[in-house]
Amino acid sequence: MKLRASSVCMSAILIVVGTVFWILVSTPRASAIPAFSRKYQTSCSTCHNNYPELNDFGEAFKKNGFKFPKDDELFVKELPVLLGAKAQKEAFPGAIFPGEIPGSLPIAFRYSGNFSWNAKQPQALQATAFVPQTDLFVPNTFTIISAGSFGQNLAFWVDDDISAGGTGAGGGLGDGYLRYNDLGHIFHLPKNALNVRFGQFELDLPFTQARSIYPSAYDVFSETAVAQPSTTPGQTVFQTTNNSFMLGTPQRGIEFGGYPNNGNFTWSVAIVDGTNSAYGLDSSLTARNTKDVYVRVSQRFNLERDPESRNAVQAAGPSGPRDHTSIRFGAFYYHGQNQLNYGGSQFSFLGTIDEPFYRTGGDVRFKYRKMELFGVGLVGHDNNHSVDTAAQTITNAPAVTYTGGFAGSNFWIYPWLIAYMRYDFVNSPTDFANGVSEYQTRNRFSPGFQVLVRANIKVIGEYQYHWGQPYIDPATGNTLFFRPNAFVGGIDYVF
Amino acid sequence: MGRLSRVIVLVISSSALLLLAGVSRAGDIKGKVTVQGIKSAEDIAVYVDAVPGKKFDAPAEHVVIDQKKMTFVPHVTVIMQGTTVDFLNSDPVGHNVYWPSISGNKKLAHNMGTWPQGQKKSFQFSDLGAAPLLCNVHPEMSGYAVIVPTPYFAITDKEGNYTIKNVPPGHYTMLTWSEEGKPTTQSVDVNAGTATVDITVKK
Repeated sequence: MKLRASSVCMSAILIVVGTVFWILVSTPRASAIPAFSRKYQTSCSTCHNNYPELNDFGEAFKKNGFKFPKDDELFVKELPVLLGAKAQKEAFPGAIFPGEIPGSLPIAFRYSGNFSWNAKQPQALQATAFVPQTDLFVPNTFTIISAGSFGQNLAFWVDDDISAGGTGAGGGLGDGYLRYNDLGHIFHLPKNALNVRFGQFELDLPFTQARSIYPSAYDVFSETAVAQPSTTPGQTVFQTTNNSFMLGTPQRGIEFGGYPNNGNFTWSVAIVDGTNSAYGLDSSLTARNTKDVYVRVSQRFNLERDPESRNAVQAAGPSGPRDHTSIRFGAFYYHGQNQLNYGGSQFSFLGTIDEPFYRTGGDVRFKYRKMELFGVGLVGHDNNHSVDTAAQTITNAPAVTYTGGFAGSNFWIYPWLIAYMRYDFVNSPTDFANGVSEYQTRNRFSPGFQVLVRANIKVIGEYQYHWGQPYIDPATGNTLFFRPNAFVGGIDYVF
Repeated sequence: MGRLSRVIVLVISSSALLLLAGVSRAGDIKGKVTVQGIKSAEDIAVYVDAVPGKKFDAPAEHVVIDQKKMTFVPHVTVIMQGTTVDFLNSDPVGHNVYWPSISGNKKLAHNMGTWPQGQKKSFQFSDLGAAPLLCNVHPEMSGYAVIVPTPYFAITDKEGNYTIKNVPPGHYTMLTWSEEGKPTTQSVDVNAGTATVDITVKK
C-alpha cells in the first residue's frame, strides 16, 4: 500500500524510526561481574554459561544476594571488613548493628564495541536519516559495575555506562539498588519467600534486556505508544496518546519479590515512578504524579528424573554439573497512568489528561542439555483521546494498542561457541497508520553467533533482517520501502 | 648348659644377627630439589624408575584426592601403577573430575561424572604418566595424579626436600615430574644407610 504524505510528516516519521533503530542497536548492557571472580577466585563460567547469561548456579547465586547458595563463607577468598564484631548484635540497640563491606572494592569493567555493516540506503533516506554503510565500533560502550553483599542479608548492585556511542557523555545509570534478602524470615516465611529491593532497577522481566547476550534489544520491549508522531500545519484535531514508556527501561521504585520452593516459583510486585529520565537522553521522559505497578509470576517445572539431581543447584550430568532440564511458564502485567498536559502546557483549555495503559503477556523457556528455547507474547493498550482545539473539546478516541513478542533458541555447539536464532515481531496498527512500516506487523530475523575467546572475552556476530522502512521517492513522490538489514559484529570483554 | 646346646645357641644367634644385618641394608634416598625458571620446588614428584626384571604389586589401600573449597587436595598426588584413587567431594557444590589425557595420550582421557557432597567415586590408574585433573564447571581447579612404576616415590615439600624410604640396595634410575619443569633423570646407588641425591629441575 502506498501512501502520500507531506515531507514534514515523513521527516518526523523517519526521526521516530531512526530513534527506534538507535535504541535497538545501542541498548545499554550491564552485565557480568568479574569482581565475584576475584572474591571467590573462580572462573566466570562458574556462574555464566555465556556471560552475562546466568547458568542455574549463577541464578541461585544472584537470588541468594550474590552469595554462594550454601556455605558461602567457605568459598570466599577475599575476607570482608567487619564493621562490627558479630557479638555486637547482642549489644543492639545499645550499639550499631554490625555489618561488613567487601574486603576490596568490588569493581568490574566491561567494554563492548561493534562493527556494523548496513544495507545501502536509498538516496532519499540519506538526506534525512543517514546511516553509513560501515561503522566501526558503534555503539562503543564502557560500563563500570559494582555489586556484592554487605553481610548475610544485604546485597547491592550498581552499573553505569560511563560512555556510550563514542560521545563520552551519553552514558547513564542502569541499575542502582540495595536489596534485603529473606525479609520473610521475620514473618517466619520460608527462606527467600520475601525479599525487597529499592532504587533503580530493570523490572523483573521474563528475559532481561539489560543483561542480554544479544547485541540488539527485544523489539517489543522497546515499543512505545504514540498516536501521532507529528502534526501538520492547520491541524485542529489531535490524538493525545504519547506514551514513551518502554518495558525495557530501568525504573525507580521498590520491589517485593521472592523465590520459594528452591527458586522454582518466583513472584514480584514493583511500585515504580513510571517513565523516568533514563540516561538523561530524552527530556520528554519526565516523572508523573502517578505511580505504576508491575507484577510477575513464574513457575519452573524441573524435569530431571533423578530426585537428588532435581533438588541440587545444578543437575548431575555424566560429564559434569549442568543446568537442569526444565520448562518455565510466566506471566506479567504492568499498569500505569500516563499524564499529559500538566498546567495546560499543550492545551490551555484543558486540565491534566489521564491515560491509563497496560502491558501484559506471558513467556516460556525450555532448557534441555545444550539447547534453550524461549518466547514472549505481549499486548499493549493505551487509552487515547481526541482533542479538538477549534471546538475546545476532548473526547475518547480508539485506544492505541499493539501486540508483539519474540521467540528464539540458543545452542551451545561447544562451551565456547554458541549459535542462536531470534525472531521479533511487533504488530502495531497505529505505527502502521503513521507510516513506520510497510505492513502492520514489523518482523525481524536475527541469526547470530558468539565465541568465548576466553571466559571473559567474546567475539559476536549477528545478522538482522528487518522489516520495510518507508521513504519518499523524490522522482515520483510515492512512498517506497527499503529493508535496513545489517550485520553487527563486535568484541566484548570484562575484567 | 651342655656343649651341644651352646653351639646351637651360637648358631641361632649368629643367624639372627646375619638376618638383621640383611634387613637393615635397605636404604633411604633423600635429597633436595632445586629449580631454575620455576616459581617453587614444592609438589615435585621424585621416584625410582622401573627396575628390569622386578615386578611390584599395587597397594590394596586406596588413595584419596578430595575437592575442598574448589581446590583439589592434595594438588599433586603420586601413586604407584595400579593404585585405586577415591575422588571425594567435600564441597556443598556439584563438582566433576576428568582428565583430557595421561601424559598427552588423549586415548586415556576419562570423565568421572558428577557426585554430590560427601560422596566419592573411584578409579584405578593402570597407565603410567601424569593425569591433569580438571573440573569442567570450575575451570580454575586443577590437580595432578602422577602414576609411577615402583612403590619408591616421594613428593617435595615447600623447600624442595624429599625422602624415599626402604629402597632395597641396588643401582637405580631416578626420575622427576614437575607441573612446570622438564623431567630429569639421575642415577643412584643405594646401599645400607642413606643415599643423598640433589636434583635440579629446569623449566
